[in-house]
Amino acid sequence: MQLFSQLLQNKKATVGVTILAIIILVAIFAPFLSEYSPTQRVGRPHQAPSLEHWLGTTRLGHDVFTRLIYGARVSLAVGFGAGLMITLIGTVLGIIAGYKGGVIDEIINFFTNLVLVIPNLPLLLVIAAFVGQASPPVIAVILGLTSWAWGVRVTRSETLSIRQRDYVKSAEMLGEPSWRIMAFEIFPNLISIVGINFIGSVIFAVITEATLEFLGLGDPNTVSWGIMLYNAQNASALSVGAWWDLLSPCFALALLGLSLALINFAIDEVANPRLRTGGMLGRWTRMVRAGEGKL
Amino acid sequence: MNVLSIANLSIDYVGAESVFHAVKDVSFNIAPGEFFGLAGESGCGKSTIAFAISRLHRPPALIRTGSKILVDGRDVLELDDAELRSFRWREVAMVFQSAMNSLNPVLTIEAQFYDVLNTHLGLSRVQAKARAAELLRLVDISPDRLSAYPHQCSGGMRQRIVIAICLALNPKLLIMDEPTTALDVVVQREILQRIDTLRKELGFSVLFITHDLGLMVQVSDRIGIMLEGELVEVNDAQTIYRAPSHDYTKRLWASMPRLHGTPIRQEPAS
Amino acid sequence: MAFLLRRVVFYLAAFIAAATINFFLPRLMPGDPVQIMFAGAGSNLSMENLNALKLTFGFIDAPIGQQYLAYLQSVFTGDLGRSVKYFPLPVTELLARALVWTVGLVGSATIVSFILGTLLGVMAAWRRGTLFDSVVSLLSIFSSSVPAVVISLTMLFVFGYSLGWFPNGYAADPMLDPAFGWSYISSVIHHGALPMFTMVIVLTGGFAVTMRNNMINLLGDDYIVMGRAKGLSENHVMLWYAARNALLPTVSALAISIGTILGGSLVTEVVFNYPGLGNMLYQAILARDYPVIQGQLLIMTAAMLVSNFVVDLSYVLLDPRLKKA
Repeated sequence: MQLFSQLLQNKKATVGVTILAIIILVAIFAPFLSEYSPTQRVGRPHQAPSLEHWLGTTRLGHDVFTRLIYGARVSLAVGFGAGLMITLIGTVLGIIAGYKGGVIDEIINFFTNLVLVIPNLPLLLVIAAFVGQASPPVIAVILGLTSWAWGVRVTRSETLSIRQRDYVKSAEMLGEPSWRIMAFEIFPNLISIVGINFIGSVIFAVITEATLEFLGLGDPNTVSWGIMLYNAQNASALSVGAWWDLLSPCFALALLGLSLALINFAIDEVANPRLRTGGMLGRWTRMVRAGEGKL
Repeated sequence: MNVLSIANLSIDYVGAESVFHAVKDVSFNIAPGEFFGLAGESGCGKSTIAFAISRLHRPPALIRTGSKILVDGRDVLELDDAELRSFRWREVAMVFQSAMNSLNPVLTIEAQFYDVLNTHLGLSRVQAKARAAELLRLVDISPDRLSAYPHQCSGGMRQRIVIAICLALNPKLLIMDEPTTALDVVVQREILQRIDTLRKELGFSVLFITHDLGLMVQVSDRIGIMLEGELVEVNDAQTIYRAPSHDYTKRLWASMPRLHGTPIRQEPAS
Repeated sequence: MAFLLRRVVFYLAAFIAAATINFFLPRLMPGDPVQIMFAGAGSNLSMENLNALKLTFGFIDAPIGQQYLAYLQSVFTGDLGRSVKYFPLPVTELLARALVWTVGLVGSATIVSFILGTLLGVMAAWRRGTLFDSVVSLLSIFSSSVPAVVISLTMLFVFGYSLGWFPNGYAADPMLDPAFGWSYISSVIHHGALPMFTMVIVLTGGFAVTMRNNMINLLGDDYIVMGRAKGLSENHVMLWYAARNALLPTVSALAISIGTILGGSLVTEVVFNYPGLGNMLYQAILARDYPVIQGQLLIMTAAMLVSNFVVDLSYVLLDPRLKKA
């Protein structure tokens, strides 16, 4: 809880949360923000941005702005869905490996390291290619099942150090069952690591979903930012000068990634005081300038 | 003239909302060849003073205007960057709290002698190696250790290597900041004995910082007692031991097990 | 030595794991795996050629265990089958041709961004809390959170289409004879510059932030303070005491991120129409050329393992504590 109150005072966190909240609200209220349907032809192909079509139209005459705000739903859903799965698997396996040790640890650790050295995107490409035209939920599940290794690694190493603490030792002496120790003694101390893992995984999932769709592995009927990129690229949007078709989803993806990354950096700063610089340095500098002292 | 003369030294740690006064208006002197002890609980500001003498602090530490730190008559706080660099180690060398960890783990022992000897005296690699071998012999370490890395040496050996590096430029003052806390009692005594002998041979003064008052009385000429940033008592070691005047010093003695074992110094402190 | 040997055995296991995934994926999909695998070929495969391909991928009349061994045997004898799109070109030949370009692009971009990012991280940590530090941190947040595809497309739009400073595709002017004359080489550099620069933007921030955090975590260590107390110059302490030690965890972070780097290069190549593995793969995906898609996973895994091994080697060189062990 202390983590959250400290986060509220962090500038990076405030900016990140604000942007994220706006994106979420826009996604939820998409039907009220646009008079058009995202899947219907509402204008001539590749119209430049105008009052009628704020961000222009695609080659098929879809309204880019409408597709953008509906597409936010997919990015957010895949991002948070897959992020949740990745974090869940990573945290559970990491705590078990770190706390149980022995053979269980060796098995989990071996598979974690194995997954870490098989390049992720090429692996996803092969799987998605066999699945065929993968819909957003399918992409989320594939991401969740293949991308947990990093989370296991950090959670495990943190658990290893927490396992040595006194309160864990005393809970063991009292004969607490090991699942209770893992859930109530160890997990609460991992909150910041789990948080960083979760936000990091959401960023990863948003980026990867868009990338897979851009590479032609998604379902072309979906309204999502990745499919928008794919269609724009196929329509040679840049070479015909229809930059809005391509750059709008680019900007949206960058904004979402940026807001999440700001939150992640803020958690890291709050959890790791050494990384914090904060207001005291400003005050120190002012005092030195005022001739109150030196180093 | 005193080797070290500290007058009205105040050091703050600046926080975002409040200021912590770590050292409050402290003054004391160390004479040439003197072994001076600074004692007090951890967090009382004694290490903060040690860092200030070589001006090693980083923000948010702040040495208050009006403080004076004279080494051999020169005010350290008035030195510019270049003067400060040439002052460090040449006049004041320092053994750090965990001397075992104060050697750079990725450089050989030789390289850690060489950077000092080259920076300050301009010695070549060959000259530096000969000088380093000489210094290691002073602390009874074989010169073939020069090519070793710190992790290949024992804790006590690393400690002695740090002392040898400290002596590289014949400093006037050697600061030892809790140098022996991580070592076992036997090694600890051996190291302090060696420092004492070297001090008599080479003539440097020592500022010895520890929370272990019993150990300190055995090695120091004079002792200062610190409490919450203030220097509450300064006196001969024997007076501090037999007739402490400040309440806090008395309480420190009361909380400590009685002394035993043979004295560390060859002759009694006089 | 024992350390390196253990790593090699582990890498072998990882490679077999990648091959295993390749083996089971078509068999796990609903429908006839042979149909799926070679669907992209249409009618240009004769019965004879199809049988040869089936043998390579372990589709033989035998229990699954023997099928698996047959596939592993193909992989380890360097037979990755033939592309069904460009039949009868062997997958290895197709990939090897593309790999040259990818290695050049990824290699140069990684080296440049690692050096640049590490230096930025070192200086940001050393001047912590200053404006320089804040700027580096913000740039790092930017480059580590904006998708490679977005950065690539934007760079192509700005420097390729709008300003026209760089070509919009290919690795060299197709009119030139690749007889390694100067004009050919300069054309390769001109074509490679924008994709490489894009990858540098994508990668530098991550290296900078890793190095900055590693540095900050050891700035309070005693050997750093002793370095300053010794009267060495600030730069000497920063580089030989702080950065030199912070480099160790940064290098092991590099090993993990090689997979991400390869992934990023796939995207960049597609956007810039650069004839490396990424673009080859893109064409294969569009044509559902599964032998090539599968071969790509093996090649990428092999590339990842080799670079990890190089990182292991450099780690042994950098950390004296590992040499004797």
